[in-house]
Amino acid sequence: MIKKMKLIFFLFTVFYLFSTGISAQQQRFPKPEFESGYEQPSTITPEPRALALEYFDVLVLLVVLSLATWLALKKRSRQGILWLSVFTLIYFGFYRNGCICSIGAIQNVTLSFADPGYAISLTALLFFILPLAFTLFFGRTFCAGACPLGAIQDLVIFKPLSLPKWLNKTLGIIPYIYLSLAVLFAATGTDFIICRYDPFVGIFRMDAKFHMVVLGISFLLMGMFVARPYCRFFCPYGVLLSWMSRFSRWHLTITPARCIQCKLCTNSCPFDAIDFPTNEKEVVKSGLGPKKFLTYALLIPLWMIMGIFAGERSHTWLSKANQDVYLAELLISNPEMKNDPDNIDVQTFLASGKTMETLVQEAEVIRRKFYFGSMIAGGFIGLVVGMTLLNTVVFRKRQDFEPHKGNCVSCGRCMDYCPVEK
Amino acid sequence: MNTVDKLKLSQNVAVISGLFCSVVALLLLLNYWQFSKNDPIESKALEVLVQRLKEDPNNDGLKTEIRNYDLLARKAYFNSQWQVKTGAYLLLFGALVLALALRIYYSLKSRIEEPEKKLENEIASRVLAQKGIWIAGAVVFGLAIVASFATVDYLDKYNWESLVFEEQVSPVENGVEVIDVGVVSEEPEVADGVSATSEDVIEEVIVEDTQQEELTELEVAESAAQAEQPVSSSSASSAADLTVETIRNNHNSFRGPMGQGISYHKNIPVQWDGKSGENILWKAPIPKHGYNSPVIWGNKVFIAGADNQNREVYCFDSRDGKLLWTGKAGQIPGSPATPPKVTEDTGLSASTLTTDGQQVYAIFATGDVVAFDMNGNRVWAKNLGVPDNHYGHSSSLIIWDNKLLIQYDTNKAGKVIALNAATGDPVWETSRQAKISWASPVLVQSDGKFQLVLTADPIVAGYDVQTGKELWSVNCMMGEVGPSVGYTNGVVYAANEYATLAAIDLKTREILWENDMFLPEAASPLAHNGILFIATSYGVLVCYDAKTGEEYWEHDVGRTLYSSPVYADGKLFMMDNDGVVRIYEYGKEMKLIAENELGETTGTTPAFAEGRIFIRGEEHLFCIGK
Repeated sequence: MIKKMKLIFFLFTVFYLFSTGISAQQQRFPKPEFESGYEQPSTITPEPRALALEYFDVLVLLVVLSLATWLALKKRSRQGILWLSVFTLIYFGFYRNGCICSIGAIQNVTLSFADPGYAISLTALLFFILPLAFTLFFGRTFCAGACPLGAIQDLVIFKPLSLPKWLNKTLGIIPYIYLSLAVLFAATGTDFIICRYDPFVGIFRMDAKFHMVVLGISFLLMGMFVARPYCRFFCPYGVLLSWMSRFSRWHLTITPARCIQCKLCTNSCPFDAIDFPTNEKEVVKSGLGPKKFLTYALLIPLWMIMGIFAGERSHTWLSKANQDVYLAELLISNPEMKNDPDNIDVQTFLASGKTMETLVQEAEVIRRKFYFGSMIAGGFIGLVVGMTLLNTVVFRKRQDFEPHKGNCVSCGRCMDYCPVEK
Repeated sequence: MNTVDKLKLSQNVAVISGLFCSVVALLLLLNYWQFSKNDPIESKALEVLVQRLKEDPNNDGLKTEIRNYDLLARKAYFNSQWQVKTGAYLLLFGALVLALALRIYYSLKSRIEEPEKKLENEIASRVLAQKGIWIAGAVVFGLAIVASFATVDYLDKYNWESLVFEEQVSPVENGVEVIDVGVVSEEPEVADGVSATSEDVIEEVIVEDTQQEELTELEVAESAAQAEQPVSSSSASSAADLTVETIRNNHNSFRGPMGQGISYHKNIPVQWDGKSGENILWKAPIPKHGYNSPVIWGNKVFIAGADNQNREVYCFDSRDGKLLWTGKAGQIPGSPATPPKVTEDTGLSASTLTTDGQQVYAIFATGDVVAFDMNGNRVWAKNLGVPDNHYGHSSSLIIWDNKLLIQYDTNKAGKVIALNAATGDPVWETSRQAKISWASPVLVQSDGKFQLVLTADPIVAGYDVQTGKELWSVNCMMGEVGPSVGYTNGVVYAANEYATLAAIDLKTREILWENDMFLPEAASPLAHNGILFIATSYGVLVCYDAKTGEEYWEHDVGRTLYSSPVYADGKLFMMDNDGVVRIYEYGKEMKLIAENELGETTGTTPAFAEGRIFIRGEEHLFCIGK
């Protein structure tokens, strides 16, 4: 029977991966050419979502957040959280097409700081702030029930494997790198990479480029065995939520009363977010004491300097992601591209009437922004690496099995494993 | 239902939904395969039909066949799209059911796990984590540094590229400087002084000719001095030579050098006959129709033609009339799929080309501007936006100071544009408080600087060639302005039918005199050596005193005059729309020297070079010479 099921998995996976290629074939069809004097109607831009409906979305988010918090902390119902995440997936995922989302709102907030001409909408701001505010008090209940990206991954967890701690720690650096790049690109007005590379938005919209659909399905397939891979190892908003959650006053607990050390919950968390009691004897024996702490603490500035240096060196490369820089360099390196009628970017630039000098000047301004931005981003990544290293030699005295406040997504699975009653 | 039943049910649902998903995915793949085989965008059959239509554009049956085929292909395309969309939804539905069934199946099969007897050694994992973080940090920063070495900073190279570019164009600027500080810039000033003291027109001619000789000598000396400098260009045909003298040696724009209607070539024939072939050195058929006049550089004559399908530039060998090359002005981004509606008497190619000896430039009624090198290679092309013009755009191009100057007065807005001649990049653009016009820009030199004089309803205005700044404007014109301005001795002559003929002092902006007795519809005024000529569309050629507006003489030829009068070799050349060129002595008294028939109707303006006249007829390009 297991073999049969595996076969079904395999067939399904192969066919789905192939069939996604079809949706990628949706090309823009050329307009017919009329000679009868018929005038092509001009392209209509869809109206933005009505403001009232945008506020309704905020209201829904608020209600979902409140419900998730109540279900995780008060009701302690895994089933409730599960069905709430199904609702979130349907509403914020398939109905709202994955937009607006709190993860992407990072970029709106960043751009509003970096570009005085950009006015962030109240909805985007609230989508950014509300989950953080809830997390600051109640832990990551947003991830549990209010995030469509989390929900779609959570629903496909079939056989989660426990990853070793060292791998979790090492891969845990990726979201910080992603966050710093997302902020850098948003601040320089280059791109909203979180949205562009959202692996699930193609599934929500039933339409995306081939590689994005493949990426989304790959994440889901991987998510069957490595629970919530995007949330744990990529989500840049998860970084902010993790920071907030560490300070949360009322966080989800495994046991409703006193831990009886039964160890039943040790394998309950598919995200490896349960901290075990500290073995003080081993800690003392390990030599990971004050000496190491001091060494790693002193290394932090060095990591930051290295990051700043790497940022400074790579700013030219990073800035090539900017459309203006890319275009300017393209036309400088390949001036004959001006005569390429198929290059839409070049032709749009030529049609705009902008001079090459202006384009280059604008590109240089952007590159200057990247110069400083990349150094800040590099310094931040250096700080994260240094702090993560330092964190490996910091031991907190722990006697019970507790959820890791930063990494726990408050899904409530562990609660079902606890035999203790109130 | 007990647990075993639930297990069986979930298992069956999983199998069925899995098969369903597989079938849908298979159908989608088949759809994709079929679609890729019959992609209407890449349809070869359609391409063949379109090609056939190009060869036989009036074949209505073929057009209908193409339309039917096109419609069928589009239907197939959108049908396939619907199938993809529907299939994707079915697949999603199947996947959801499968996921749910599998989930239930696995949760029912799950057993209570025994707690781990031995937990992961945290210390060991932390030590491992440290290694991992070290490696990860080093890899990230290492990659960033490697990327920096693998990256080329092209923006930095732009300065270098610009320097090279400047080196290439600097001779042009040097050339301008020569004019500004050296000789040519002074020439009109001297001429002004002479003309102010002289009452005899013939005397003026002599004085001006003498000054021109001096000018030539000085320029030769200057050229010799330049030749000693290593920076100086050695190429006789480089853009550095685009001086007043150089363009006077050619005929590089509508109405000759600077668009003033004055040719400096000598030994121009005065006798020919198109029917008998007398003094017709050659005549060459013109592939596509147009009302633009020939421009000449060296041994090359350029004209343009267009129809609804194609827009082309032709280069003929001036010695034997051989068509050297045809430049296509197609596939220009922004160019309309179907050309704008124009009237027959204007057409799609009414604007005369211009050349600087390096490149030749053309503009069409579609708003397409294109540059070819002298060998017919397309250098750049762009669309300025389709001009809203109810007859068709007809303003000709002119070039100076490495800028292609375009008068772009349309029903939407009036503006004058300067494009970088080398690249087509905009240099400046100036909005004009003017309505649509069909006149062409004229270059004049005042106080050592060149300005562009434009006429339209309601202003006659001058623009700095360097910056595009409007230097002056006089409100005196009205109607649908077709004639360009005439210019001599610091006075601009602007005229239009149903409006006025106005003599405007360039420095004081004063209207010196006005007359509305004879007004041109299309032919531009010619002002030279104190004499002004006006040619009306109803066939009267009128000669005035340029200073006072006093009429010297008039000649009613009784034929339509759209062609502009041109001064050449001390004579006035006036062609009517039937192709008869009347040659007059250029003076205060009317003296008709000759009447020569071309044998073809035409409304263009003749071009002069090296003792020859080049005339574009309705179907042929004629070269007249001895």
